[in-house]
Amino acid sequence: MGRRWRGVGWITAIATSGGCSAAVSHIIIVDSDPTAALVTQRGLQHILGSGSVVEQVPSAGAAWLACARGGIDLVIIDPGGPDRSGVALLKALHHEHPGLTVLVLTAYDTPRLRKQMAALGVRGYLAKPVGLAELGALVRQVVTP
Amino acid sequence: MAKLRRTMPPSLMRRRQHHLAQALARIAQPGHASPTADMPSPAVARRLNAILAVCAALLVTQDIEMILQIVVREADTLFPGSSGPLLFLADERGEQLWLRATRDGVVPSLSVQPGQSLAGHAYFAPRAMLMGAAQIDELLVSASDEHAAQLARVVAPWPPRSALLAPLRVEGQRLGALVLPGALPESRFTPHDLPFIQSLTDLAAVAISARRQVVRTAALQHDLAQSRSLHEQAQARLDAAQAQLLQSAKLAAVGELAASVAHEINNPLYAARNSLYLVGQELPDDAPQRVFLDIAQSELGRIARIITRMRDFYRPARDELETTDVNDLLDETIELVRTHLRHGQVTVVRALDPLVSPITAHADQVRQVFLNVMLNACDAMPGGGVLTVTTSPAGGRAPAGGVLIAIADDGTGIAPEHLPHLFEPFYTTKPQGTGLGLAISAHIITQHGGGITVESELGIGTTFRIVLPASPPGGRRA
Repeated sequence: MGRRWRGVGWITAIATSGGCSAAVSHIIIVDSDPTAALVTQRGLQHILGSGSVVEQVPSAGAAWLACARGGIDLVIIDPGGPDRSGVALLKALHHEHPGLTVLVLTAYDTPRLRKQMAALGVRGYLAKPVGLAELGALVRQVVTP
Repeated sequence: MAKLRRTMPPSLMRRRQHHLAQALARIAQPGHASPTADMPSPAVARRLNAILAVCAALLVTQDIEMILQIVVREADTLFPGSSGPLLFLADERGEQLWLRATRDGVVPSLSVQPGQSLAGHAYFAPRAMLMGAAQIDELLVSASDEHAAQLARVVAPWPPRSALLAPLRVEGQRLGALVLPGALPESRFTPHDLPFIQSLTDLAAVAISARRQVVRTAALQHDLAQSRSLHEQAQARLDAAQAQLLQSAKLAAVGELAASVAHEINNPLYAARNSLYLVGQELPDDAPQRVFLDIAQSELGRIARIITRMRDFYRPARDELETTDVNDLLDETIELVRTHLRHGQVTVVRALDPLVSPITAHADQVRQVFLNVMLNACDAMPGGGVLTVTTSPAGGRAPAGGVLIAIADDGTGIAPEHLPHLFEPFYTTKPQGTGLGLAISAHIITQHGGGITVESELGIGTTFRIVLPASPPGGRRA
C-alpha cells in the first residue's frame, strides 16, 4: 500500500527525568482498554529491554498511588474515552509532581485534547494506532538521561 | 339598500340612520321649519319631498363625486333664488377647503383657508347661517384679493347681496361647507330656508363620512391582507431556514457518529497492529509467514485510513493535503469503474487536457467524489451510453487558474423537481441509496475551496461540473 503508518506526535522538551537516579527506569501505563495496555506494556518491554521496567496499572487511582510512593520515571496515559479519570490523574500529577515525565498515548485524538494536554505539561503526545517502533523511539528519548 | 348593506358595516348603518332621523327631526321642529302647525304649505311640502329624495338618493350612492353632485343639484332645486351652490370639502388635515362641486359641473381650482371668506366662515360655523350684504362684504374683506377675484369668476352676480352658508359636520368632525350665494338683490333668502340647508348639509356630511369610512375600511383590509401575505412569506423563509438547520443537524449527527466510531476503533486497531509487529520481530526475515504478516499489516493500515476519512468528513486533515494531478485521479477512477462500465455497455470518452494546473488536495477524497459522480452516471445509463470525462483550465471563477472537470452522461436525466435537492444529505431517489453520496461529494469539494454544479435534462443526460482551485505556486509536493 506504500503509505507509512503515522502517529501524531510532538515533544516539547527533552529533559532529564526527575527524581530517580537508578540505572533501571520505571515506566507505568494507564489505559482503560486492557488489550491496548497489554500490547503497550509487552511491546515497550520488548523494545527497551532489561534497562527498563514497564508495568501496567489497573486504574488512574493506582497510578496516582504509585507516583506518590516515588521511583516512577515515566507515566504513559490515555486520558480520552468516556471515563475522565485519566484527565483527573494528569491534573493531579501536574500539580503534585511537576518534574514527572508524562506521555499521552490516546485513541481519542482531537485538536482540543492536544491543546489540553499541552497545557498540562505533557512531554509527548501520540495518537493510536501509532506503531510500537515510533512509541519506543519517543519513550527512549524522554527516559534516557 | 341591499347593495349598501353588503358594503357597509352594521354599526355605520345604524349611525347613518340615526343622523338621518336627527336631520329630519330638525326640519320638523316647530317654529323653526314648518310655517303651519298641521299641514305644511305646498312650498314646504315640495321642499320636504326634495329632502326625502336626497335622503333616498344618498343612501344608495357609493361614489363621493356622485354624492357631491346630488347635493349641489338638490340645493339648486331647494333654493331656486341661488345663483348656484358651491360645495367645498376640506383636505385631509383640514388646512384648506377646496371647491368640489358646482351647478354646471365645471369645477375651477378654487380653495380657501378655514375661517376665511364665505366657505371658510361656514366651515367653522356650528349651524347654517343666513347672511346679508354687510356681513358678506365684511367676510370678503378678510379673504385675499386673489381669492375674491377667483370667486367673482364663479359667482354671478358679484358680489352676492345675500347668502346661505352651512357647515358639513358629523359628530364634531368638520368635512366642508356649502355656500349658496343669492342670485339677485331682490330674491333674498329667509330664516325658513335655514332648516332645509342644514338638513341637506347634514345628509351630505353623513353620506360622505360613511363613504369615506367604507374606503378606509377597504384600505385597512387591503393592508391587513398585505401584512398577512408578508407574514406568510416570512413564515416560508423561516420554514426554509429551519429545514436547512435540520439538514445541518443531520450532517452534524453523522459526523459525530463517524468520529465516535473512529475513536472506538483506534484501540483495537492499535492492539492488532502492534501485536502483528511483535510477532514480526520474532520471525526470521526469510520466514514464509512474513508475506501474510505484511498483508495483515497493510490491510489494517487500510482500515485505519478508512476510519480517518470517516472522521475527516468534517475536518479534512491539512497535513494529508498533497499536490495532485486531476487527470491521474480521473484515470484511476475510470479504471475503478471499468467493470461497471463493461457490464452496462458504457463507452468512456476521455478528453483530459494534459496542461491543467495541479491541485492541492486530499487525493483519496477527491477520487471518492469522482467515483461517486461516475457511478451515478452509469446508473443513469441502464441501457448503455457514453460517459464523457473532460478537464480544462477553469475560467474566471477560479482566479489562480483552477481546473474544470466535467463528467457527462447521455442517460435518463434528472427530473427538475429533484435538481435543487441533489446535494442535500439523505435526499435520494434510489431504492437502496443512502442519500449521502452527493452530499459528501459537495462537502469534500467545498472543503477544497471548489464548487460543484449540475445540469440535467430528462431524456438527454446529466453533466456534473466540478471546479477545483489550482495549487499555489511553490506548493508542497507529495
